[in-house]
Amino acid sequence: MESSYPAAARTLEPVFAFMSSSLAQLETTFYKIPGSHVAARYVKSSHQNDPGRTVVEVLIFVFLIFTILQQRTRAGDDERHFIKYSDEEIDESVDDWTPEPLGAPLDDVETADLAAVPVIVGPIGPKPRLLNSSKPVINMVSYNFTGLAGNELIRDRAIETLRKYGLGSCGPPGFYGTIDVHMELERNLADFLGTESVILYSQSFSTIPSVISAFAKRHDIIVADRGVNFAIQKGLQISRSTIRWFDHNDPRSLEDVLIAVEKERKKRRAPLTRRFIVTEGIFEKDGSMADLPRIIELKNKYKFRLILDESISFGTVGRTGRGLTELYNVPASEVDMLVGSVANGLNSAGGFCAGARAVTEHQRINGTSFVFSAAGPALLAVAASEGINILCNTPSLLSTLRGNIAAVRAILDRVDVLDIPSHPASPIIHLHVRTTPTPTTNGLLDPSSAATISTGKSNPLSVHPREPPTFDIAREERLLQELVDECLAQGVWITRAKRLRGQELVEARPSVRLAVSAALSRKDCERAAQVVRAAAGKVLGRRR
Amino acid sequence: MPSPIALNLSPTRSMFKRRSSSSLAALASAKSYLAAVSEADARARAHGATPTSTPALSLSSSVTTNSEDSVLAEEDDNRDGLALPIVPPTSEQVFNTSHLEFGHSANQRHRYKSQYVPGAALTHDEVDPPYYVLITTYLSYIFLIVLGHVRDFLGKRLNPGKYRHLMPANGYAPLNSDFDSFYTRRLKTRLDDCFSVPVTGVPGRTIITFDRETNDYNLTMKMTGEKTRGLNISSYNYLGFAQARGGCADAVEECLRRYGISTCGGRLEGGTSDLHVMAEALVARFVGQEDALISSMGFATNSTIIPALVNKGCLVISDELNHASIRFGVRLSSASVRMFKHNDMKDLESVLREAISQGQPKTHRPWKKILLIVEGLYSMEGTLVNLPAILELKRKYKFYLFIDEAHSIGALGPNGRGVVDYFGINPRSVDILMGTFTKSFGAAGGYISGNKALIDRLRVAGHGGTYAESITPAVVSQILSSMASIMGVWTPPPVQKGLPSPAEPVQHPGPAPVSMLPPWMDLPLVQRDGSEGRERLRRLAFNSRYLARGLMKLGFITYGHVDSPIVPLLLFNPGKMAVFHRMMRTRRTPIYVVVVSYPATPLVTSRVRFCVSASHTKEDIDTVLRACDEIGDALDLKHLPGERWPIQRIVDSAVELVNMQD
Repeated sequence: MESSYPAAARTLEPVFAFMSSSLAQLETTFYKIPGSHVAARYVKSSHQNDPGRTVVEVLIFVFLIFTILQQRTRAGDDERHFIKYSDEEIDESVDDWTPEPLGAPLDDVETADLAAVPVIVGPIGPKPRLLNSSKPVINMVSYNFTGLAGNELIRDRAIETLRKYGLGSCGPPGFYGTIDVHMELERNLADFLGTESVILYSQSFSTIPSVISAFAKRHDIIVADRGVNFAIQKGLQISRSTIRWFDHNDPRSLEDVLIAVEKERKKRRAPLTRRFIVTEGIFEKDGSMADLPRIIELKNKYKFRLILDESISFGTVGRTGRGLTELYNVPASEVDMLVGSVANGLNSAGGFCAGARAVTEHQRINGTSFVFSAAGPALLAVAASEGINILCNTPSLLSTLRGNIAAVRAILDRVDVLDIPSHPASPIIHLHVRTTPTPTTNGLLDPSSAATISTGKSNPLSVHPREPPTFDIAREERLLQELVDECLAQGVWITRAKRLRGQELVEARPSVRLAVSAALSRKDCERAAQVVRAAAGKVLGRRR
Repeated sequence: MPSPIALNLSPTRSMFKRRSSSSLAALASAKSYLAAVSEADARARAHGATPTSTPALSLSSSVTTNSEDSVLAEEDDNRDGLALPIVPPTSEQVFNTSHLEFGHSANQRHRYKSQYVPGAALTHDEVDPPYYVLITTYLSYIFLIVLGHVRDFLGKRLNPGKYRHLMPANGYAPLNSDFDSFYTRRLKTRLDDCFSVPVTGVPGRTIITFDRETNDYNLTMKMTGEKTRGLNISSYNYLGFAQARGGCADAVEECLRRYGISTCGGRLEGGTSDLHVMAEALVARFVGQEDALISSMGFATNSTIIPALVNKGCLVISDELNHASIRFGVRLSSASVRMFKHNDMKDLESVLREAISQGQPKTHRPWKKILLIVEGLYSMEGTLVNLPAILELKRKYKFYLFIDEAHSIGALGPNGRGVVDYFGINPRSVDILMGTFTKSFGAAGGYISGNKALIDRLRVAGHGGTYAESITPAVVSQILSSMASIMGVWTPPPVQKGLPSPAEPVQHPGPAPVSMLPPWMDLPLVQRDGSEGRERLRRLAFNSRYLARGLMKLGFITYGHVDSPIVPLLLFNPGKMAVFHRMMRTRRTPIYVVVVSYPATPLVTSRVRFCVSASHTKEDIDTVLRACDEIGDALDLKHLPGERWPIQRIVDSAVELVNMQD
């Protein structure tokens, strides 16, 4: 052993010699680099003071190299779940993979539904002509609440505009798409409502998702009604905010949720984020009406901002059709973001959001469907401006509408096979199939808000109420379609409220939706309501 | 506004008045020019109902003539050089459009056919600017960011009143966080005079803007009340259908009289009119698919239909530069998303291979379906999708293909049928063709087309059919008339005795059958025979190629395909955006351009984007090129290596430039 050691050392000697010489050379080259002395001194002294630090620094260095070398091309995929395949294996799985068809073919019910969609021939009005029907029908379908459709003044102004501006705007508002008539309509709407400013969108349905997502971001809090329409649901989804739900049209439940939100924030010592209440004026789903003064009181008390969707109520309620704010005599400026529909309320196309200047200007940069969409045609903006003019100057339009609604309700409220969840002033009247022969509710109360009667509270984290109402969608839809067909045979055109089944957060109860118009005479309204009553008795009555 | 019937009569009256004063020798003023036009028109009418010159030369309707148009309404005497063509018309040439809306161009050499030349490169290498440009660009942003944050920091402490909207107040969090709005406040505000310029009139060849002024660095802007007309090279008016006169506008007016403004409801809830049914049939025929559905907003077409196509368990593969509406729709669909590098087929293939072999995240279950979403023509880059390569991948990887043709429909292809037509590909080999009517057709809204079963599914499952308002009749009639005039209308010949009536032609791309148009729509002959539409397509193709090639020969770095009507010119330095815009609009012939920067583009590649139109004449493109030449020198923008031509040579050899193949 002893003799072998020097022998081994002898054989290794050239290796050591080479190593030491190359190290020496490395050292001299290193010191040739300018500034290297300083670095060496730094390392030396730091090692001297704190040897542990060198270890840590080396580790950090190694980690850095490791991180840099790591491939980061697999987006979103967890590294652990990535399985490495050979090219052949990938080819094989490509060959094996069979995708589902892009769109599933329609089933029989859907085909029949689509085929039953009525086609209007010619202009819309109180008595339009439908394809496949010989006589004009009484129109209880179109959103022609104040009867502006067919107004000759509006039409003439639209033709004038066409001859000055052409049709399309050919550009988004940011890039030469802001036409003076758009600005005029924005001003007119703002003056009409009494808000500081208005921003105009080119489609009503796309307005509210854009408004919500322009303000509410991740970590912000939205308190929303459980019965909000589909467009709002999409807005809530795209905003990625934290959503809390309150029972449909129930200010008490709203207050509970607002308190809970504030409590939760205090408990978690979270920073102050933007907080919104999102609800509708008149609910598209059932025609019920929000208690606006109470909501405003609550939002001011708990420091929330209010996003109010007046797509149905703007242009249809209040003395001159200014909507809920006029009806309740609340200044529109109390509503932080007031969203309305130019398409429904003014018989043109588009939507708008009214509010303070800061609110609208913010959307001109951050409202997705404002920024990335072409501005609407000029003649539609002019038609809407003219519509406002007519509403302002003819309050009788609204009183006629109110009279017609009352006339229809007077007949339909007493039909014992139907439930009407809609507010008595609502221009849209939803008819549900009454499930219990002897109802305990008085017919005005929404069956879907049954939770308000019960003592327990719903979970604000879930969109579903504590005691969700039960109903048989397929059966009720079939019955209601029969009702629609029966009425059409009698010359009264009504429609089922169509729903995207399976895509709504809460399935709305199947309903028939009547839209009352000021263009109809009182007699026609009464006749239509009587036809509906008779048909309901015939279709729904016989099943008992 | 006189009715079209009145317009029919008045030209004849005015023509006789001016005939005496006409002098063809000097055409310096508007008056003399008009006289020439009227005289030509009068002669044409004297010999019969139709003009004697070739139909291809005469663009447009028999209803309107120039003498009644807005040219006369202009008080200024062609000071900006926009009201009158630089090349005066000869007596044979009859133009029935307003030169301000749709420029007069009779030279048949200024036409080109938009078509893919097999083997031509689809992308040209994007040239990097010299280093000093990149460095100064980065420095500009660093200055901007550092100074901006310092100002925010100090301002909040020293001048809280000005920053109140960014700070929590009164128990409310600010609507706008200072961080999110940083670029808006610190960069965009400085350029705000270049954005959202209010306009009036037709967004055609020229556009009238309202002058604005500010005394607080663009925080607030006031309209002075003055208006300025300028050359419009910014609107998406590719085929020049933004017109207040002519066959389409007449059709819209007739439609307004017959149908009113709106159909007052959603498509499935009583808002469907016979016009919608006709338009859907015609759109399907136009794009060469089985069926189509139309929606009232282009953005919403994507954002409401994509969720009906894919859902959880599906994968969307999306080009990184896809439009916001596509992202919006995909986000709503809750499908998984993977991006691939813009137009990079290799990257796309590797994403596909990985996605299919790995399956869904974590579970490794196979994807239900994979939908590839690309655009036909990218609106910020001017690049074309590499469709042949994608179709090859599609055969192998079995994904579904969705092409957003918002910008390419109407604007590309020998028949204007979009990117599929451009490449000469059967449209049925693409699963879904989506497009908008806002751009080439001068209308509004969008469409989705595909096979019948799929479109029926989308009618039922798309959000728009159930909840959104339907497209208004006036807009539909603009779509119908403009589309028909691109296609030409097929009218069955008079039935002869004993012979069966001939069947409608169904081949693609074919003319529009008369049965798909409303019986009252009385298009002028040049629109019915398709000559006007063809003329528009050829003019657009010429103008696009001329501008792109011209800018390159001047030495500018441009992006995109040479056949694309969108021509981005790279500026790089953010500061040059505002200066470029201001220099363009304050020229003797004002030119209105669009400048875009981060976040719409990558940080360094700020650009100006030209949108060429068929309504421009060759002389208009000359004007733009001359302006760019001068401003490019002043702003040091010419960084493209390679051969450069002086502006005069470019202008003189435009035809040669355009016909040059790569």
